[in-house]
Amino acid sequence: MSARPPGVISRDLAALAAFGAVALPGVLPLPVLVLFPVALVSSLLNVRPLAGRRTASVVVLLLIAIALFGAVALSTLDLVIAAVSFATLVTCHRMLAEPTPQASRQVLLSGMLLMSGGAALTGEVGFAVLLVAFFLCATWSMAWLVLSADEASVDRAERRAITRQLVLGSLATLAMGLAFFVFFPRLSWNLANRRAAPGIGGVSGMADTVRLGGGGDIKTSARVAFRVSLIPDPRSERLERYWVGRHFDVFDGAEWTSSGTPAPPAPAVSLHRTSQRSLEQVNQDFELTPAYGSRTLVALDTPTFFARVRGLSISGTQPMPLVHVPGDQIYGAIDANALTYAATSDPGPRMDRTPPAQGGLTLPALDPRIAALANELAAGATEPQDIARRLERELKRRYGYTLELPGDVKDPLSDFLFNRRAGHCEDFATALAVLLRVKGVPSRVVTGFFGGERVGARYVVRAGDAHAWTEAWLDGAWARLDATPDTGRPGSTGPFAAAIAAAWENLEEWWRARVIDYSIQDQLSFARQLVQPPLQPRPSKAAPGAPEREVPVAPLALAALGGLLLLLALRRARRPSPHPASAFLDQLEARLKARGVGPPAPLEELSARLTREGHPLAPALARACRRYLEARFGQRPLDAAERAALLAPFETSNR
Amino acid sequence: MIGRLLAALRKALNPGRVLRITPVGRVYLLLTVGIGLGALNTGNNLLYLVLGLLLATIVVSGVLSERVIWDLEVRRLLPDGAFAHEPFTLRYELTRRRGQAFALKVKESGSLDSGGAWAPVVVAGQRVVVRCLATAPRRGPWALKAVEVSTTFPFGIFEKIRTLQVADSLLVFPRRGFACDPPARDQNLLRGDTGGSRHRDGTADLADLRELAVGEDARRIHWRKTATTGKLIAVEREREERRQVTLKVNEALSGDELEHACEEAAGQTTLLLKDGYDVGLEVGPRRLRPGHGALQERRILSALALAGYGEPT
Repeated sequence: MSARPPGVISRDLAALAAFGAVALPGVLPLPVLVLFPVALVSSLLNVRPLAGRRTASVVVLLLIAIALFGAVALSTLDLVIAAVSFATLVTCHRMLAEPTPQASRQVLLSGMLLMSGGAALTGEVGFAVLLVAFFLCATWSMAWLVLSADEASVDRAERRAITRQLVLGSLATLAMGLAFFVFFPRLSWNLANRRAAPGIGGVSGMADTVRLGGGGDIKTSARVAFRVSLIPDPRSERLERYWVGRHFDVFDGAEWTSSGTPAPPAPAVSLHRTSQRSLEQVNQDFELTPAYGSRTLVALDTPTFFARVRGLSISGTQPMPLVHVPGDQIYGAIDANALTYAATSDPGPRMDRTPPAQGGLTLPALDPRIAALANELAAGATEPQDIARRLERELKRRYGYTLELPGDVKDPLSDFLFNRRAGHCEDFATALAVLLRVKGVPSRVVTGFFGGERVGARYVVRAGDAHAWTEAWLDGAWARLDATPDTGRPGSTGPFAAAIAAAWENLEEWWRARVIDYSIQDQLSFARQLVQPPLQPRPSKAAPGAPEREVPVAPLALAALGGLLLLLALRRARRPSPHPASAFLDQLEARLKARGVGPPAPLEELSARLTREGHPLAPALARACRRYLEARFGQRPLDAAERAALLAPFETSNR
Repeated sequence: MIGRLLAALRKALNPGRVLRITPVGRVYLLLTVGIGLGALNTGNNLLYLVLGLLLATIVVSGVLSERVIWDLEVRRLLPDGAFAHEPFTLRYELTRRRGQAFALKVKESGSLDSGGAWAPVVVAGQRVVVRCLATAPRRGPWALKAVEVSTTFPFGIFEKIRTLQVADSLLVFPRRGFACDPPARDQNLLRGDTGGSRHRDGTADLADLRELAVGEDARRIHWRKTATTGKLIAVEREREERRQVTLKVNEALSGDELEHACEEAAGQTTLLLKDGYDVGLEVGPRRLRPGHGALQERRILSALALAGYGEPT
């Protein structure tokens, strides 16, 4: 076991932080999750089993790389997960090898790769903590690798000076990194973009189909899908409202699709669904964030009008035409990273009177138990309205909610209704729609969002608020039915969990608003605030219309100024203060200059010269000179009275 | 006016500093570019955050390294003697008025082959003397003009190099260790009463004091002077033998022949002085009378170093 060079422990800690960033989403393969802690402990104990086994270990590493990327080629492993797994293995390999400066730098560089992999895999606030930890440990390690390039030793005082410099450097780097983050232009090229990052994709509800079945769990995501301002403003903290996105009317037993055909693109779409326009229409201004991940427009309740669509892309913000797919959706005609648009909705129920396509009753061959179940659940009801309400109520009452998916089953609907008896919103929406059709009531499945929380003057809706429900054609209008149990609806939690979730939400909200969803629009408004302060007073914070993302420029500027002054004061305090006798010397020289006694010379020389010349000030100067030297170098300080007495003969009034 | 402007512009364009990217810095920059492209492509703000820190690290690295090599004074401490093709020690005294400097490497800027002297820390107000080995590939006068001060502090991504004008001249003696056999004793050069029966009785008049050569009779030691000087001092008396050699180097020679002759004369000088000879030198018109001791050796080596050179280059 060899001695551990400086910087190796901080290197290992940096690697730990980087590993934490990729382990956080919980998507790494188990062997990698196990191997890293083993390698870390071994390295911290300075046990390096791979020292001197470079060739063999590199061959093993190459074989693992082939296996990992082979799995990617066979589509059994995600590319990003394979890449971070391999980077983790490289990090372990270098940690277990001889701790040379080169190996340490390789650990840090592969740690950098892991951090960027973590950025692709997670959006958690924990990533920020790990990033800062990685950065501090890595800079510390890199600096010590530089400082220990020679065998020259560093004593304690020098170590303190180095530490101070590194702390200052690290803080400056963090501050500058944040400045880069704030001001670096957010241009998304969207070239070779992955559709969704593994682990954070969430359910946006805006896929082209609604497909039942599948394996694993549904990942809920707190990323903001869109922000919207409403006129009139409901002024409530939470919205229990439905945001309609797409309608699906064709079911093949496992998957819902739409039968609509797209109309030519147009700058605005008016749906005119209602026979008479409501006077209480709600106007909405939307901002769909990149996390939304779709071009489908959403709007509250029963959308009637969409216009002023602008897409944000690499070439800037540009107007975008709309495509209307009747009975399905309205979407932007051009790819864009983010969308803004205006929409109008009728708030009341049963405002959409567009007749169902193909009768809304088509069904594939179903498990015969489903018809029996429909009859059982709707027993006694004869009117379509009663049937619908009863089916909705019974599904909600008899079935449970789970985010766990059933896996690959042949008939996911039967599996939900008769085996698992628990499912998520798409299972309930599908079940209700199918049961309605079985009972002869036209129905369709709608996807969108449910909920919304107030942040500033707007409401935010998250990817995790994605939802699916059912609409039934009742009395010549589409009526909304939601069979998903209330506990399973997005945003529905128990009181205790809600309190904890609220506290966590505050932290997460800050992180998401300031970091995750920071966009070019935020940059522009921030820059505008910097160069042009608002002329009008901001709305009161007590009112619900408080500014959503107010950047406290003035407090920040004051804090920066205060920090600068504090720094200057500290530097001044550290500077050695002049000896008290020096102040006396300054006063004496000033008076001699005022009396025209010169030319300037050291005090002793001047005193000797004046004595030689028989100058009247010579005795006083000799006294003053002697006392100055005693005070400065002889540990005999001057008090104020004596100083005044010594200076008195040199006052200009004594001329 | 225009001249001053041009001079200011030239100074601004050539700040006397060079920035080199280290091998690990190249990988770092490559990764930064890759992460930057990834951030631009995906619009992932966390990648922008990582990118921001990576870019900030580059900027802070530049600022800190600039602070390190800024306000630095270097004084060269030359060795007493340096021989061609033989490593000798060069010392540098580093000082600065403000702040601290870290991880400094100091080396000669020019044809003198020097390794780097390493100073981990230089604190304001302290003099730090560091040393390195240098080798001169030829004898003669060397005009040392500048010193390169470099640092890879703080992160080892870049190496910032500043060239400081520190003028000195170093005289490099001919290569040592190259000499033919010592010349045979020349009886004709014997002086004094060496033929007499009392030439070693220690009663003759004092002729000179010099350092005791290796293998010389201990009875020659002048103990009082030895105690005063701390070195073994030998006495030479009038009647003792005075073996004198004058080495001649033909300055008309040039190139390798002259080098060869100088190296041979230098080697012989050292050997003969060690054997107790008085050694003199004739190089062209320059003549050094025979003498002995370290000073005489230095005089002869200096004359040999300058053979063939007019003024220091």
